[in-house]
Order: sequence, then C-alpha cells, then structure tokens
Amino acid sequence: MEKGMSGKHAIQLSQAEIREQRLNLLYKILPILSVLLLIGLWLYASRGYNPKVGSGFPTPAAVWDRTVRLFTAPVKKRSLIMHALVSLRRIGIALAFDWTFGIVFGIIIGWYAKPRAFFSPMFDAFRAVPPLAWIPLITLWFGIGEFPKILIVIFGSLASIVVNVKAGLSTVDRMYLDVGTVFNASPMQTLIKIAIPSSLDAIFAGVRTSTSAAWMVVLAAEMLGADAGVGFLISRGMDSIDMPLVLTGMIAIGIVGAILAILTQLVERLICPWTRKSK
Amino acid sequence: MDKKKQVILSLRNISHSFIVKNEVKAAVSDVSLDVYDNEFLVVLGPGHSGKTVLMNVIAGIEKLVEGKIYLRGEEIHGSNRSIGMVFQSLNLMPWRTVMQNVEFGLELAGLDKKQRRLIAQKHIDLVRLSGFESAYPHELSGGMKQRVGIARAYANNPEILIMDEPFGALDAQTRYAMEEEVLRIWKEEKRTVIFVTNNIEEAVYLADRIVLLSNCPARVKHIYDLSSLGRPRNMMDPEFLRIRTEISQNTDLAL
Repeated sequence: MEKGMSGKHAIQLSQAEIREQRLNLLYKILPILSVLLLIGLWLYASRGYNPKVGSGFPTPAAVWDRTVRLFTAPVKKRSLIMHALVSLRRIGIALAFDWTFGIVFGIIIGWYAKPRAFFSPMFDAFRAVPPLAWIPLITLWFGIGEFPKILIVIFGSLASIVVNVKAGLSTVDRMYLDVGTVFNASPMQTLIKIAIPSSLDAIFAGVRTSTSAAWMVVLAAEMLGADAGVGFLISRGMDSIDMPLVLTGMIAIGIVGAILAILTQLVERLICPWTRKSK
Repeated sequence: MDKKKQVILSLRNISHSFIVKNEVKAAVSDVSLDVYDNEFLVVLGPGHSGKTVLMNVIAGIEKLVEGKIYLRGEEIHGSNRSIGMVFQSLNLMPWRTVMQNVEFGLELAGLDKKQRRLIAQKHIDLVRLSGFESAYPHELSGGMKQRVGIARAYANNPEILIMDEPFGALDAQTRYAMEEEVLRIWKEEKRTVIFVTNNIEEAVYLADRIVLLSNCPARVKHIYDLSSLGRPRNMMDPEFLRIRTEISQNTDLAL
C-alpha cells in the first residue's frame, strides 16, 4: 500500500518540484561538505606534525588526546571546564555592571538632551581608546588580581551597550510618542511606557554585542597574566610549546562564545516575543 | 437649527505654519468651526491640505500658536482627556498585545488591572476582536489593526473622537466594511466623531455634516448639512449622488 502511494506521488511530481527537492537536498549537503573540508584541511596541515619537537600543526587526534588529558591531569588544579568557568565568572561580573550601569547611563544620555550634550564628548573620548590599551595602566594601578581583569572587561564591553541603548532611546518613533501625548502621558510615563519598550530591540543588540566583546576582552586580559581561565590555558600552551593545548583552548573559546550568543538570543526571544515576526 | 444641537467644541481663528528650509509654510489658515454634541462630522479635504495638522492641533500633538479652542465653553491648551484619536498610521505599539494596546490609555490614567481588563474587554468586544486579545499587532490584518486603534481610543472614554484618515491604507473592500463598523460603533457608543478623509464618497456616506477644506493651507470652504439624507445611506440614491457631485465640483484638486 505504502509503496503504491509513494509511487503515485512520484508520478505526480512536476519538473519544478523535482528541481526544488534536489535544491533542498543540496542545501542539506553543503554545510556537511563544509565541515568535512575543514577537517580535511586540518588533516592535510597536520601532516608534518612532530609532537616530540613541537613542530608543525597538531593532528585532530593529538588535540582530542590533550583535551581528554586536561580532565585527568588538570593544569593548575583546574580542568578545562573549571578554566572556562573562571573566565565566565569574570565576564559575568563585568556584564552585571554593564547591564545595570551601562543601560541606565545609555537611557539617560539617549533620552535627555542636556546629559547627552554634557556626557557625550567624555564618553566618546573613553570609547576611542581600545580597551587593551588600558591593560598596562590598570596593571600598574591594581596589579594582576581578579579586580583589574574584571575592570579591563568592563572597559572593553561597556561602550557597546551604552552606544546601542543611547541610539535606541534617541530615535524613538514620533508616532508612539504622539499616542502618549493624546493620552496625556506624564514625562515619566512617556519614558517608561513608550520610549524604553520601543527601544528594547536596540537594548538587546547592546546586550549581544557587549557579551561577545566581554568574551573577547577577557581572553586578552587572561593571556597577559593570569593563573586561571581559558586565555591562561592558551598562553600556557604557548609558553610550554604545547600546541594541542593551544588548540584545545581555541576550540573551547569558540564553543563557549557560540553558546553565549545562542543564550542571549533565547533570552531576547523570551523577553521580546513580538520581535519573532516573520522576516 | 433644532434646540438639541449643543456646541461641544469650538475652533476660533486657528492658523498653523511650519518653517521649511527657512521659509514659513502655512498649513492651516484661519479655521473657525463649531462641532455639535454627538454629531458625525467629516472633515473633507484634498491630500496634504493640512487636515492632519488641524487635527493634531485639536488633539494637542501640535502646539496651538494662533487661535483658540473651546471645549464646552472652556478654553483648552494642549492634549485633553476628553479628546481621543484614531491615528492615520495606526500607531499601535508592537510590543503590546491587542489587550495591552487597548488598555494603554487606562493604564496611563492609573486604573487598576481589574478595571482596565474589564473596560478593555468591553471595547475589544465592541469592535468584534474577541479572541484576539493576546495577539500582537504584527499578527493582525490591516482592518483588524484599525479596529484595535478604534477600541483603544474608545476605551479611554473621550467625549470627542478624532479619526484621522483611518482607512486610507485599507483596500476598498475592507474600507467599506470598516465604514459600516464605524457607523455601528458610533450608534452603539454615542460620541462626537470628527472623521477626516480625502474621499468624497466616504464623506457623504458617513457624515451628519461635511466641512470642506481648501487646498493647503487649509481653510473652511463650505459646510454641508446632510441631515436630510437619512440613514442608512445608499450610494446609488439620487440625493446622495447630487450631493456627491456638488461637493466634487467645489473641491480643489490635490497637487
């Protein structure tokens, strides 16, 4: 019966439908090909790898072994997961500051003209200096403990949230504000019920970019002097010419970064269900 | 004029201009007008004639600079709780559901949630959107969105409701249906309605009186009293067609 049905369907398929089916198949195959190509290139590049001398590019197998070994023989008493958690804790504290102070500050300078006129030059000057340029100064002042690292992450990620929130609040659509006027909204109601909700997508763009910026900067901060964290793992691998360790660290960074991006997207969808509109 | 007609809103010598590229451009010029209690007044004018500007001045969106506005004899400035508005471009808040959009004015007025729900639900039912309370605006059709806009304005219980070309963006079928709806709601919830349009047929179909505006800057060209026409109206009625022709011959062409 089933066979007969599918046979009947096959006959009914038009030329265009067959073409579409083939196209769909192609779209499924292409990503797989891409991953295979990447692994192929890696294998090709690692052909001259010599683990004894540490020359060449480590093989996938060597990286896998090193990753597994990181769990049985931790570096500085921490497994890979623990190192990742140390880094995540640092950006967590920095982002908590970004998302409170940064959002409030962005709302103030986005919505109110006078604070904007006053703070904008100050903020633009701060923003013009790349965060990594602060590292020497912060290290001289605060040494190499946790606080200076978190401070560097804040310096590196605060601007992106402030800029986005400010952009959202300073470009609220006139038509929403008119509704407030007709309904006699007070200035505070206009801000809380109209301006901020209409800027939520801009605020979330800031949340996303500040998260990825924080993750980037924490690695740089850790590579320049730390005894834990994924950035430390990489620089440790470099110092001890342990290339598989470097690659393990790099892959872990990529995976954590991707998870963070997915998480922020999920939270955005939860909080702003109306942005799920058909695009 | 029968005794029942009470003036609710008076405009006296309203003018409004904008500065465009260092030149003063008049949008409304010396408009004086009385609006009667519970009447359906249509303001008819060619496109970009300054109709919207005049309505925005009445609603308090544009600042009143020249002229005076009296609401039941009292001079008013700026926006007023007694004047509601259904906007031309819908202006629904995409982050609010249908229910939350209708509740908006009540929320600003400080009503508690239970009262808000009750009033909003009544008006959602009135515009026949029951079942769509938790939908977001982007999930609705154009006609449905306009119903939300009407419910939102009515829920706040204004004495005067301004509808600024509410059906301009709708297709003809939906437009006819919505005209019927507006008349039905107006009969159920008697209110003074000031309905703005550039469509002569729509004006003659809906109005108790039509205020014909000139091309920009908007001046009152003529006021037509249609109370002799009776309701419901038939667009093929000879009297309907006569008035329609008369108005159309008197109308300025839009540029």
